[in-house]
Amino acid sequence: MLELDNDATTILRPDGTLAGECPVDDAELLSLYRDMLKLRTIDNRMVTLQRQGRIGFYGPATGHEAAVVGACRALEERDWIFPALRESAMTWLRGMPLQSFVDQLFGNRRDAAHGRQMPCHHTFREGNYVSLSAVIGTQLPQAVGAALAARARGDDVVVVGFLGDGASSSGDFHAAANFAGVFRPPLVLFCQNNQWAISVPFERQTASDGVAVKASAYGIDGVRVDGNDILGVLGATRAALGRARSGAGPTLIEALTYRVGPHTTSDDPRRYRDETVTEQWKEERDPLRRLEVLLEAKELLREADRSTWVGELEGELRECIASAEAAGPPALSSMVDDVYAEPTALLEKQRKMLLERG
Amino acid sequence: MRFEFKLPDIGEGVVEGEIVQWLVAEGDAVQEDQPLVEVMTDKATVEIPAPQSGTIIETQGEIGETVAVGSVLLVIDTDAVSTPDQPPAAAMAPTVEAEGPVQPVEAPQPHPLAGAQALAGPRKVLAAPATRRLARELGIDVAAVAGTGARGRVTQADVVAASCRECGAAATPRRGDARAVDAPPAQPVAAKPEESLAGSPPPAAGIPMPVDGAPLEQRTPFVGLRKRIAMKMAESTRTAAHFTYVDEVDMSELVALRMRLKAAAEARDAKLSYLPFVVKALERAFALFPTMNSTLDEARNELVVKRSYHIGIAVDTAKGLFVPVVKGVERKSLLQIAAEIAQLAQLCREGKATREQLTGSTFTITSVGNIGGMFATPIINFPEVAILGINRIHDRPVVRDGEIVIRKMMYLALSFDHRIIDGAVGAGFCNEIKRYLESPGLLMLDMA
Repeated sequence: MLELDNDATTILRPDGTLAGECPVDDAELLSLYRDMLKLRTIDNRMVTLQRQGRIGFYGPATGHEAAVVGACRALEERDWIFPALRESAMTWLRGMPLQSFVDQLFGNRRDAAHGRQMPCHHTFREGNYVSLSAVIGTQLPQAVGAALAARARGDDVVVVGFLGDGASSSGDFHAAANFAGVFRPPLVLFCQNNQWAISVPFERQTASDGVAVKASAYGIDGVRVDGNDILGVLGATRAALGRARSGAGPTLIEALTYRVGPHTTSDDPRRYRDETVTEQWKEERDPLRRLEVLLEAKELLREADRSTWVGELEGELRECIASAEAAGPPALSSMVDDVYAEPTALLEKQRKMLLERG
Repeated sequence: MRFEFKLPDIGEGVVEGEIVQWLVAEGDAVQEDQPLVEVMTDKATVEIPAPQSGTIIETQGEIGETVAVGSVLLVIDTDAVSTPDQPPAAAMAPTVEAEGPVQPVEAPQPHPLAGAQALAGPRKVLAAPATRRLARELGIDVAAVAGTGARGRVTQADVVAASCRECGAAATPRRGDARAVDAPPAQPVAAKPEESLAGSPPPAAGIPMPVDGAPLEQRTPFVGLRKRIAMKMAESTRTAAHFTYVDEVDMSELVALRMRLKAAAEARDAKLSYLPFVVKALERAFALFPTMNSTLDEARNELVVKRSYHIGIAVDTAKGLFVPVVKGVERKSLLQIAAEIAQLAQLCREGKATREQLTGSTFTITSVGNIGGMFATPIINFPEVAILGINRIHDRPVVRDGEIVIRKMMYLALSFDHRIIDGAVGAGFCNEIKRYLESPGLLMLDMA
């Protein structure tokens, strides 16, 4: 079990008190909370949908809300995201309509990827959110390449490559971090270390004391932050983005959190880990709860507000889901589209056969 | 409208699921998202929530039954929607302390996303999901149990204690608690089906006299591990021609040897029980009687003699019998075997042993030594061809050179499949084990 070794980066403590000045104003504090609440509500709804057999798969970010919302909020609109599994909320956080988000989960005819990806593997071109690959770590060298390209073109953007603790032991992580250290592109590597790669605990992933320490071997900055402290995550990410933007080089951020739920809907952690630890994280370290305590202390949040927001969101989700279910699957003939700009003769033949046999 | 709810693919590529528990019954009014049924698949045990509100017209499938993905689980009359007593979904605040739908709730909730119940409930009970599950299996209301853990957390021991109180039995130590002098705690206890049956459901003798019309019997679903053990035992007795051969062994030398080695083993963080010596004696005996380490492939009519010795060790746990496997004992030292047995037994008791650790045995040892009895007639761990039961070491008077002397005696009970192993072979094999146990120094002759 990893613990924070220092609290230099901590702003919002687990008990909801602040270590020093609040770095954001009241309005932003509240909007950060609402995004986290929205993420948890959506995740709960989607897991239920999967259990009902209405969508095939879902990867909830329960317990990760501070890391997801905090990191995303730090980005400028022009910055790029190369996501891992638990960043899919960054699509709607960056403006994807909720309906489109839900359409992707159903893989219906409105889905931007025409139902060719698993649920949660969103793509969002308008939000500079690159299509997610289920293969672990492949996005990291791509993120480095995109950052190098941005610098070559003179674009004022920073690229953020996200990863989980599992990807930190992949070859692609090494390649990416090594390139980042040598060529110093405008890049941030952001690791949501939830201490479990499906059933593999962190201590079986690496013998290092966490992920952030690996940065020094590559000659880049490394920082570990309490991943359940949204203000700490926001602060650390803003600082890293600032350094990257000013040409001071890449940073590897490790947001230390805990996967309090299953890896995905196909997983059952009760089969391989001690859930008393999970219960402790839920009870003592919950990212939403500590912000609720702060907001209540500042008299910015009432229980009734929260109920109203969740109720409104549930209603909106209900409509999106009904519409997504009614939309139906993509046209059969679309199966051969997009392989080439123009379908080849062979593909056209296959399309014809497909349509004939229905 | 009649809505047929079919078992969905609740994992990736899952083809079937076992019904663990029905949370609703025919005639019940259900709300959308209300948990209906708990289903166990290869990948996960999950609660399936109602996709529609209505009245349950029909449920299909008994507890313990395996149903295929796509077959109808239940039928809901969606016209008969009743008004919920509970506030609508808007009242929820899904903070983490509430169990999300991913971590199923304990009992049928009139309400979907779980978030509300922890906030609205009378008292929030601190208990791990594994503990809650154990409580559910034992029929104990976890909220009614006084927790002894940190900040009042209800532990598994609390649940077991409550269960013992409930069934009127004194809180007897579990069989895993070593009492016999000769058996160190790490030594797993055996696994005779008849005693294992006392495992999960409370023993009938412990049920108190009924008061004010309470039922005279308690019915518990016969599912999960218990059912798998039952099927395996029945298959073995139905198939193999069991023949049990019993002999007595003078363990005096081994007892003395173990006493001498114990401290040295402890210095290396291992508890040296008798089991590793038995394992090594077996290994030597297999060299003379290779068919004892075999399985019968009935489909192909072939006897498969195994060249490596993977020894299953029957371990008794609160949940029932497990048989973890020490693999390739011919390549391992006494100390390595001791450490591995201790580790595997611990994993089994914690419910953390992996499938790999629980499969692949070629021969099994069962030990009832620290419970009592003279000897038992073990049931073969099918499709193996033999099983060795080792028993308690007693001081007994025996005759040596015309004199009555007190020696440390133990019964060995070897059950073998008489279809494959002749009586003379079984007896010879047992003699060979006995020879090594009585003169453990012989083991050194064959040390590589």
